[in-house]
This record gives sequence, C-alpha cells and structure tokens, in this order.
Amino acid sequence: MSGSGAAATVAAGRPVLVHSFDEWRTAARDLLGHHVPPHAVQWISQKDGGDLFAHAEEPQGAPAVKRGSPTVRISRKLMDMLQTAACCRVPNRWAFLYLVLWRWQQGEHDVISPADEDGAKLTSMVKAVKREEHDMHAYIRFRERHEQAGPPRFVAWFEPGHDVLPQVAQHFAARMGRVTWMIATPEASVMWDGTTLHSTGPLMRGPEDIDDAGEALWLTYYRSIFNPARLNAELMHGHIPSRFWKNLPEGAIVPAMVTQAAAGARKVGQTRSVGERGGTVIPIAPDKAQPQRDTPSTLDACRRCELWQDATQAVPGVGPETAAIMLVGEQPGDQEDLAGEPFVGPAGQLLARAMQDAQVERGAIYLTNAVKHFKWEPRGKRRMHKTPAQREVEACSYWLDSELAQVQPKVIVALGSTALKAVTGNPHATLKDVLGKPFMHQGRWIVTVYHPSYILRVPGEDMKAQAFEVMVAGLREARQLGL
Amino acid sequence: MELMDKLEILADAAKYDASCASSGAPKRTSEGKDGIGATNGMGICHSYTPDGRCVSLLKILLTNFCVYDCQYCVNRRTSNVPRARFSVDEVVKLTVDFYLRNYIDGLFLSSGIIQSSDYTMEQLVAIARQLREVHHFRGYIHLKTIPDADPALIAAAGKYADRLSVNIELPTEGSIERLAPEKNVHTIKLAMGSIRRKLDEKAEEPRSPTFAPAGQSTQMIVGADASDDKTILSTAQTLYGSYKLKRVYYSAFSPIPQSPGTVPLAPPPMQREHRLYQADFLMRGYGFQAGELLPAAGNLALDIDPKLAWALSHREHFPLDLNMAEESMIARVPGIGLRNAKRLVELRRLRRIRYADLTRLRCSMKKIAPFIVTADYRPAADTTASEVLRRSMAEHSPRQLDLWAELQAA
Repeated sequence: MSGSGAAATVAAGRPVLVHSFDEWRTAARDLLGHHVPPHAVQWISQKDGGDLFAHAEEPQGAPAVKRGSPTVRISRKLMDMLQTAACCRVPNRWAFLYLVLWRWQQGEHDVISPADEDGAKLTSMVKAVKREEHDMHAYIRFRERHEQAGPPRFVAWFEPGHDVLPQVAQHFAARMGRVTWMIATPEASVMWDGTTLHSTGPLMRGPEDIDDAGEALWLTYYRSIFNPARLNAELMHGHIPSRFWKNLPEGAIVPAMVTQAAAGARKVGQTRSVGERGGTVIPIAPDKAQPQRDTPSTLDACRRCELWQDATQAVPGVGPETAAIMLVGEQPGDQEDLAGEPFVGPAGQLLARAMQDAQVERGAIYLTNAVKHFKWEPRGKRRMHKTPAQREVEACSYWLDSELAQVQPKVIVALGSTALKAVTGNPHATLKDVLGKPFMHQGRWIVTVYHPSYILRVPGEDMKAQAFEVMVAGLREARQLGL
Repeated sequence: MELMDKLEILADAAKYDASCASSGAPKRTSEGKDGIGATNGMGICHSYTPDGRCVSLLKILLTNFCVYDCQYCVNRRTSNVPRARFSVDEVVKLTVDFYLRNYIDGLFLSSGIIQSSDYTMEQLVAIARQLREVHHFRGYIHLKTIPDADPALIAAAGKYADRLSVNIELPTEGSIERLAPEKNVHTIKLAMGSIRRKLDEKAEEPRSPTFAPAGQSTQMIVGADASDDKTILSTAQTLYGSYKLKRVYYSAFSPIPQSPGTVPLAPPPMQREHRLYQADFLMRGYGFQAGELLPAAGNLALDIDPKLAWALSHREHFPLDLNMAEESMIARVPGIGLRNAKRLVELRRLRRIRYADLTRLRCSMKKIAPFIVTADYRPAADTTASEVLRRSMAEHSPRQLDLWAELQAA
C-alpha cells in the first residue's frame, strides 16, 4: 500500500498522489502529524482503475493506528462524512477533505455543520453521493439472459455520476440471494456469482442474448398503473433526473403517455386500452351482496350523544343476569374500546386484584360502566381518557337503567364519582361524603369506592396502598350486603 | 386470457389506491441464502408515472370481480368494466420476475370481494404464504385487509405481510352508508382495532411470531362526498389515535367511466389532496392537532401551506428568537423543517445563530423572515398585517392542473 510512500513524499515536499479514500486517510494522517497546513499540500489523483473490492477486507471506521504515526481523534460522524464525500466526483476532492480535517483538528468543530461554508460544501457532497447511491438502487434495470448462456443470469448497465459502485453492489448482493448478475458502468463492472463479488473492469453493454418477456410485462404494468386523470408530468420529471431516462425501459413510452393523457383521456382515470374493451356487470342482487354480519344490538346503534363517533364500539356490561352485586365504573378505556369488554385494561387488572383480596368472585358479579362509549382526546399519538360530561352520563342512563332493571342487583358498587352520580341520578353527589359509607337508594345498597384508575395514578406508594385498602374494604362490605 | 391482458386490467383497477410505500419493514437480507429479496427499512421508489406518483410495489388486484356496489369505485358490480382474475401462481410469478429485474420492492395486493369476505381474504393470504414459504421472498408485502373477514384470517395475513391496511374509504358514517352500501364503519373500525391489538401484543411480547412489522395504514377518498377538510382531518386524527396507524392516505376522487349519479362528475383540485398531506404530516411529525390547523369547519387554504396559515393566525408566538426557543417551537416556524430545527439547536450549542446560517441551511427566506429573530436580525416590520404577509407569500397557481379539466369539460 502507498501509506509509507505518502509519508515519504510529505517529507520531500512533493505532491501527494492518492487513488482511494484509504490512501488519502493514511496520507492525511501523516500530514497532520507533521502539522502541514492545507495550503502547503498539493493533492493529485488518477482515475481509479484498481480493484473495486481491494479494501473491502479492511474494517471501516476508526483509522488503523500505524506504528510511528500520530493519533488523530475525529468523531464517528466526521469519519462517515469524509468517507462518503470521498466518493463525490468533484475536482480537488482530496484537498477539500484535508481542509475539513485540518479545521476539525484546529478545534473548529462547526466545520461539519451545514451552516458553515465548508460544512455546507461537505454536506452537499455527502448528499450527492447518497442521492446517487439511492438512484442507482432505484433505477438500475436488470435484463434477463437465456439460462443456456450461463451466468450471469441478469445484466444491467448504469452510468453513475459518483463513485458508488462498490456500495451499490453490496445492496444487490443482499437483494438477489444466489441469483447471479452483473452491473456494467463506463468506469468499471462488477459481477456477483451467487456468493462473491468480482471486479471485471470496464465492459460494454451486456450481450444480445436477452429475454425481454419481463420487460414487456413491466411496460404494460407501467402504462396501466398511471392515472391519466392525474397527469402531472412536471412532478414525474422532478423525481427522476433526465439523465436516467434513456436507460429506463419505460422512458421510451413516457412521451406518448403524456400526450395521450393531455389530449382528452384525462376525463377519466381509466387507461384508454382498458376503457375501450367491452365490460361485464356482475349480476347479483343487492341483498345477496350484503355480507353476513351479526345483527347489531341496539346499544351499537346508540346515537343518544356524540361519543359513538370517536369510539370503536359500545361496551355493554358483562356478568350473570342474576348477580346480586353490580359494579359500575365510569366508562370504557382504550383497551376496553378495542376489546368490547369492560375492565380488561390496567384498571381492570387492579380491580381484579382488589376483588381477589376481598374474596369477591368475579364471575358472580355484573360489571358495567355508567357511560358505554370511550370518551377521549388526542395526546400525541395516544388516546387520553376524558371524563364524560353530565349530559353524556344522563344520555347513557337509559342503558344503565335497563341493565339495572334486567339484573335487579341487591348491591351496587359505584367506582368513583361519575358512577356515583349516575347510580344516584344526583349530579351533585360527591365521593368524599359517602366513601366507605354504604347507603340505601331506591331499595338497593350503594357502596362507593375509588375508581381503580384513580388508584393507579395517585402519587406515592402510601396513598396508593391506602386507596387500594378502601376499595378492598368496600368490596368486602358489598359481598356481606349481597349475601 | 393472457397474463398481459390480466395485468393490464388488474393494474388499471388498482391505481385508485394511493399507497405505494415500502418503508418500515425490518431489515432482511438474502445474501448467501435461498430465495430473494432484501429490505433495509427505507423503501425505494423504482419509478414514477406521468401522474408524478411513485412505483415502489407491484400494485394489483387479485380480481376486479366484486359483489359490492361502492359508488366511487370503478370495479363496483354495476360498472361495465372488463373483468379479470389472476391465479395465485400468476401473482407470485409476476412479483418474483419484477423483483429480480429491480422494477419493484415488493407486492401490494388488494382484491374485489368475490363470493365472501373470508374466501377473498383466504386467497390474498395464500399468495403471501406462497411467496414467503415456497419462494423465500424477503421483499415487502402489503395486503389490503377485507374488514368483514374472520380475525383468524387477519392474523394469518399479519404473519406474512409487512403491512396491513383497511380502507376507511370516506370520512363520515353517513357517507359510507350512502356511497358504500355493503361496507360498514363499525366493521371497518373493528378490523382496525383487531390489527392494533395484535400489534400491541407483539410489542409486549417481542419473541412472539411476527405480525405486520410495518404496521397498518388506511385510505380516505377526498371529494367523492361533501365532507370538508376539517371533517377529514378530525377523522384522520381519531384513526391515528385509536389504531396507531402509520399513515392515512388521501386519494382525490377521480371521475370514473359511466359514473353513477351519486358521485360528482369532476375531481376536486389536486392541490386539496396535497394540502391534506401537508396537514397530515404536521399532525404526525410536528405534534399539531387537527383543531389547530382548522379551528372551524371548512377547508385548508389552497394558496398557502397549512403551517404558514397557522403561523399567520398565531402572530402572538412570533417573531421567535431562534437562539432561545425550544426545538419543537422552532419547527413550527414556516420555512424551517424538523431536520433544520434539530440542526439549529445543535449549532446553538457551539455558537449564536445568525441570519446567514439560515440561508446556508436552505431555509425558505421569504417565508421565514417575518417570523424569526437571530443574533443579528429582527424583522423590520413585525407589525405587518397577516393579510398583507399572506398576499406576498401566496403560491401563484392555487388551482393546479385545472385549466385542462375546464377545457375538456367545455
């Protein structure tokens, strides 16, 4: 390798010759070590005719420390930027990269910010290389050769604007598995034999024995997926730079498509060749087309308030219709709304623990909510529970009343203030007046405890434990009263 | 019928689906393995058609036979279109052949409803299964989910597909009832909910079998009914929050041959769709609420972008001192994007931000100037009325592409 050679030339004050990023890196490290400022170095390079994969074995990233050469500390980010920018075909790239490195070494770390003048140039070089890589991933078109012709099965021709062939070859090695292929460019070619990449030197466009059946299908697809009613050729050309079109098979049919669409076919979205064919109406009666669905319960169709709009579904109560105890919560939450069942989320799990402690069997009680639809507001990408308004509680009392009439429980456990207001029908009822004090209402016992989500969010372990105890005590009481 | 004919009909039938994205899949490689296909999470657009839309996936219908009668759809049962149906093998072969030639990143498969929802969904799943299990295809697969299908089939689809989607189609229940009589907003929401629950389960139990790693998306048709942008964005916001969608796609209604009288004869301006995408991006990326972008009923402005519209009606936040403000607020300045907001905050740690920095960051200076304060700059007339600013910044062709439509209608 030419590393030591570069060091020797530095000493002699001669121009530094480099072919590749690795050679530049070695030379730059030596120059920095000798405190040679950028203006004192003349970099010269030749077109890279070497083996594309000669340096592939060397680990990327931190420079290998060579005995006797000074350590240069640069950030990973700068290293990546330098390495990428080195692929950008601009005049004096090596000199510019050395200038950036020099400024960094002087402590000017904003040299990598696009707000810095050199940083802006470096950023635009990186961007141009990344862009070229992307374009090559996107716009290479393989053509298939006859199987008898032997490997490579697929061949492509591409004219990259920057030195990105080695990286791009890796991309296609991952994409094609054991299928063999070759990519030819004006500067170099690369072949994949199913397991390894080989440089094959400059080659002209692939042989003539090419099977074009796939290309014809592609053109049909390309023509048909275009919606003439949306013609916007400017936008299309904005996306694919003009230099690529000549090597894209669809490039040849674009002008005719644009003209046709502009000359009348824009009235409808359908491609002309499809529209001109005879069609078929499907003879099926509307009622036969209706999918089989469970008849919605009337609760599903409830429009007594607006809450149904943003909810997935109404969540009815669950439990035996002969239950002596009915537990009434506030409203379904995020999980309940998706599952269609009450108390399946975190609050429900806490409630289950409390019921276990109070020796209340979950299967023996009826669980429901005062409001049947989930009320929420967006917070970032989540749904945050929002307390239902009094009018929504009142609108939903229709459903709670019918559940009460059906189940006829001896005891109602009201979880929290909304439930208390709903079961007493008193919008001014407050939790603290009746907490832990069972009372009779319309011939039934009402036991009031905290709502489990209050226990989940109350701050401090002590407060949590205390609130949990109130809930367990209330449930125990309800069990006694329900016997 | 030849494969070519089927492809012509079934690609034409699929182009009303706006989505063609192939991003968000986990990294996969075929290097040294049987089978083909790789994903790196980014997704690649392999071509663009003259409508300016990208081609990233082979987007086709399994069949355009359909027993439903959705009024906005060219494949509705009462439509007089040529019909075709692919076999499972044909779709698989097309996908693999196109993939090897580097035309596509994968498959986006949808279908008309044939026989029943379950039968249709089974066919879609069979194709994805064959690609994955027989051909070891590691490219991207997006399956359109039939909302009425058995949840077990949706679970199977999620095993093979990178992304699942259920189309909401229209922004209100009333419009769905009227224009898509066999569809039902309740079952659509339930299907989305069941996909979200599966995604949540997978997130909680990382070692469980994969399920739609690129998440779920949906599509709404714009301009087939009378809903305004406020309604559309609110519906989108509800769907994002409820079902953790990756994307909502907005598809401007295209007039279809022998259009039924229930849908308009003319398309909405394409600019409207564009504004909705901009607003949607502000909701997903910048933390804007639908209600901030459109406080009252109505549509987004066509002549200025929604971020500028918001800033002009919230002059109390501006001019904003870029050397002091929080990153999220900097990103709300018209002409500064998320990436530049981040860059400015990074630069600020090294030194004070100056006006020339913004030029080098390629910010839109015309837009930005009245809204910012830097170390060396303060807008000269920060009392200029918002109306005046708006006129100076309006885009000149608010009704993009409409000239042709009018000529044709004449």
